[in-house]
Amino acid sequence: MSDPAALKIENLHKSFGNHEVIKGISLEAQKGEVIAILGASGSGKSTFLRCINLLETPNSGDVWLAGEKMRMKQGRHGETIPEDIRQVERMRARLAMVFQSFNLWSHMTVMENVMEGPLYVQKTPKAEAREKALALLEKVGLSDRADYYPAHLSGGQQQRVAIARALAMDPDVMLFDEPTSALDPELVGEVLGVMRDLADEGRTMLVVTHEMSFARDVSSKTVFLHQGEVCEEGPPAELFANPQTTEFQAFLSRMN
Amino acid sequence: MENLLSYIPLDISLIAENFDRFLYGVWVTLNLTFLALLLGGLLAIPMAIARASGHRIFNPLIQVFTYVFRGTPLLVQTYLIYYGVGQFDVIRNSWLWDPILSSAWWCALIAFTLNTAAYTTELLRGAIADTPTGEVEAAIATGHSYRSRMRRIILPSAFRRAIPAYSNEVIFMLHGSVIASTITLQDILGVGRWLNGRYYLAYEGFITAALLYFLIVLCITWAFRWFERRYLRHLVRRDAAPQPTEAPKPVA
Repeated sequence: MSDPAALKIENLHKSFGNHEVIKGISLEAQKGEVIAILGASGSGKSTFLRCINLLETPNSGDVWLAGEKMRMKQGRHGETIPEDIRQVERMRARLAMVFQSFNLWSHMTVMENVMEGPLYVQKTPKAEAREKALALLEKVGLSDRADYYPAHLSGGQQQRVAIARALAMDPDVMLFDEPTSALDPELVGEVLGVMRDLADEGRTMLVVTHEMSFARDVSSKTVFLHQGEVCEEGPPAELFANPQTTEFQAFLSRMN
Repeated sequence: MENLLSYIPLDISLIAENFDRFLYGVWVTLNLTFLALLLGGLLAIPMAIARASGHRIFNPLIQVFTYVFRGTPLLVQTYLIYYGVGQFDVIRNSWLWDPILSSAWWCALIAFTLNTAAYTTELLRGAIADTPTGEVEAAIATGHSYRSRMRRIILPSAFRRAIPAYSNEVIFMLHGSVIASTITLQDILGVGRWLNGRYYLAYEGFITAALLYFLIVLCITWAFRWFERRYLRHLVRRDAAPQPTEAPKPVA
């Protein structure tokens, strides 16, 4: 048997009240794959991403990380809950997330933000965590901002710190939730540049985005969600050149 | 100097003669106030966490506690503990009576501690609830456990946010501590009352007391200004923060 997929999601369902937002999505990411997830607002793409690391609890469906299944069980009122919260925490540590609104810890400096996970989740020795954080800040071009507080940085700089913070966990898979949507247009490029570098390094990434050029040029697979279902998926070159469904055609014409 | 002093309609020499009493009063006031703040603060932290997390059993219980202690005057609470509790034989005969509940000092400390615990609980609960959702989600996504994100992210952030409001609580507690003087304790106001009672000179005792309270409040204000500068640096506006000396490096 070949290696298990880096990340596998099977038949995921999620409802808010009576409203079903995710209607059975399955997705597999091999190691080193970059999957771009597109969709109009309300198509469920962010909710789908947040179900993977259980920021939202799916109603049903399985998440596998490198062959390890996130174990869920039925709660007292029939809801789905984690069987072992420690396992969920361990898996979250391997699934780094980058948020639309950066979500840096505002009372910590840039350096402290990047060192937090290694120090207090992975229990890395301090000297080692510091060295790694410095190298990562260098990589995202912010080593001269190590002692700044997040509020004293631009949006693009904050998002690059957030990417360094995610990388510090040596994640198996990185989840990007519209990482450039909150940025001023002139700052989008610096963040996409860092993400391109990560893709080139062979990182496994799931990227929810509105950046068509990123999906087209960088992703190895593009998935288009519509009303909580996978509407089209495939290599971006084929998908963009030859959209099969009217929904994707309409979406593309709106975006261009 | 002699001449100048004669214009002040106060018997300065009387104050000077009794100044050691006032200093002892300062010690009693500071001791009671800051012990109550310390103990009340320690009680408030777990209560605020239970309130903010909406614990099924503890949250309503603590809410009743804070309603009662914030809804009634501190003077009434102190009287109930000092005069009220001793009416029960059970308590007078118990081990609680002799060293603790029969002593005015302990009764004042208990009343002050519970009172400030109630106010601080609600203040902290608000600060915890105000933690930006995104920062909590980032902690969850990093793999922090509930305890670990409370300790590393939520409380440090909430404590900082609570500093300005807590400085008010400290000053209110200091002023509230005058109630100790109504149950025989010789705190600052207690000494002022004693001076008035003994010499029928109201101004000498009460102006000295007022000045001493004022000086303590000044020190508290200074201390909090220092705390805010130290711990709220991250909220200072960007143009007031240290500026970079070189242009940002190009993206890697």
